Amino acid sequence: MKTADHTSDQGVIFETKALNVFYGEFRAVRDIDLQVRANEITALIGPSGCGKSTVLRTLNRMNDLIPNARVEGVVRYNGEDLYDPDVDPVEVRRRIGMVFQKPNPFPKTIYENVAFGPRIARLDGDLDVIVEESLRKAALWDEVKDKLHEPALALSGGQQQRLCIARAIATSPDVVLMDEPASALDPIATLRIEELMLELKQDYTIVVVTHNMQQAARVSDRTAFFSVEVGDGGRRTGKLVEFDLTERIFTSPSQKETEDYITGRFG
Amino acid sequence: MSDRRSHFHRELAELEAELMGVAERAERMIGEAVRAVVEDTPALADAVIAQDDEIDRIYLAIHDRWLELMARQQPMGSDLRLMSAILVLNATLERMGDQCVNISKMAKVVHGLPRSQQILTELQEMADLVRPMVRTAMDAFVRRDVPTALTLPEMDEPVDRLNRQMYRRVVECGPRKEQLEWATRMMMVARALERIGDQAVDVAEQVVFLATGEFREFGDTAGTGEHG
Repeated sequence: MKTADHTSDQGVIFETKALNVFYGEFRAVRDIDLQVRANEITALIGPSGCGKSTVLRTLNRMNDLIPNARVEGVVRYNGEDLYDPDVDPVEVRRRIGMVFQKPNPFPKTIYENVAFGPRIARLDGDLDVIVEESLRKAALWDEVKDKLHEPALALSGGQQQRLCIARAIATSPDVVLMDEPASALDPIATLRIEELMLELKQDYTIVVVTHNMQQAARVSDRTAFFSVEVGDGGRRTGKLVEFDLTERIFTSPSQKETEDYITGRFG
Repeated sequence: MSDRRSHFHRELAELEAELMGVAERAERMIGEAVRAVVEDTPALADAVIAQDDEIDRIYLAIHDRWLELMARQQPMGSDLRLMSAILVLNATLERMGDQCVNISKMAKVVHGLPRSQQILTELQEMADLVRPMVRTAMDAFVRRDVPTALTLPEMDEPVDRLNRQMYRRVVECGPRKEQLEWATRMMMVARALERIGDQAVDVAEQVVFLATGEFREFGDTAGTGEHG
């Protein structure tokens, strides 16, 4: 694995060291060393089965919800061990929000979707204000301000995804994890999400998994390229090949495997 | 290894081949333009000027095809660097053609004027130095050959030296108006050849960029030190 050291450790919000994730006996990813810096967009790219979504899910302990999933190695969040037994996974997920591939609003009103998290977390503050601010930050307010109490599922796919982003940021997280946030959307809705990501990074740290290389190139500050190694008996394990500034990854990557992938010579 | 963008890579290779064709044409034109001066043959100068129209036509065609590939294929990595280099080389070779036209125009306006054999010998020497520079730079491009590309500044040194001393040669030509007029035009020819030498160095800089991802202009020390 090649990691370029372009800056110091300053502003590192996540750090994984020798991270291995197992599902039962199956090792999904091997020895991942990754640093995510605050107020940057970090993109995780690579072919299917390379473990990029697995790594993303370790960053807010979503893998805890999968039976037989086991995490080895270190995941530090703001310098503290994310997997320490004293850490409350629910609090982790409040501070580290997640947006999924398919927009998944609750079958409730627009307002209730955004108000849900703050209400559960008993956050201080006027709920109306939190809902409006969250919708504004998600670039959805102007489109929904007159129909806050209408069903969320009546919105378009792109609007639903922005609503999910509003819902994720309503609990005042530090980090928003995004797992292919635009892959179910049309190109215009996709560009809106990408623009929104660039706005959001002023306030949040974003880690995004994407199949779309051009998307990673457009939005991210740093890119991690994952690949698959096939072991004995055809077992496929994800590994991190190269992690660098996005500009470097897409113009002159240092690893041949990265070069082959981004030029389509991946074999 | 399978190539999942084989169609694009084939088109890229074709574009590169077209560029090589332009380079060969430009290199031939350098020789012919200088021969038109040395042998005082305006007809040959006209032929060079006509050939430049063909270079201009290919230049535009490569540019159109480049733009289309860029829009449709959105290349990355070494493909992106190659696309960048092709754009620069295309413009550089087109300007080499323009310099050959400049030389040819000089050949025509000095037709019949009294000449200095020493100046002609030195201009021929410059042409004989510059043509291999173009060939070497383009060979290095095709082979992505950094060590060869780094020899270009060294090859350019005698060209610069001959160009600088051309001024003195002109002054030495004496007070006769016609001879002075001819010699002054020859200074322009030397200047055009010196520019072509610089353009060959520009090509070599693109080779280093293409192979390493690092772009830098070759300074006086290039060609002697290490490379990235």
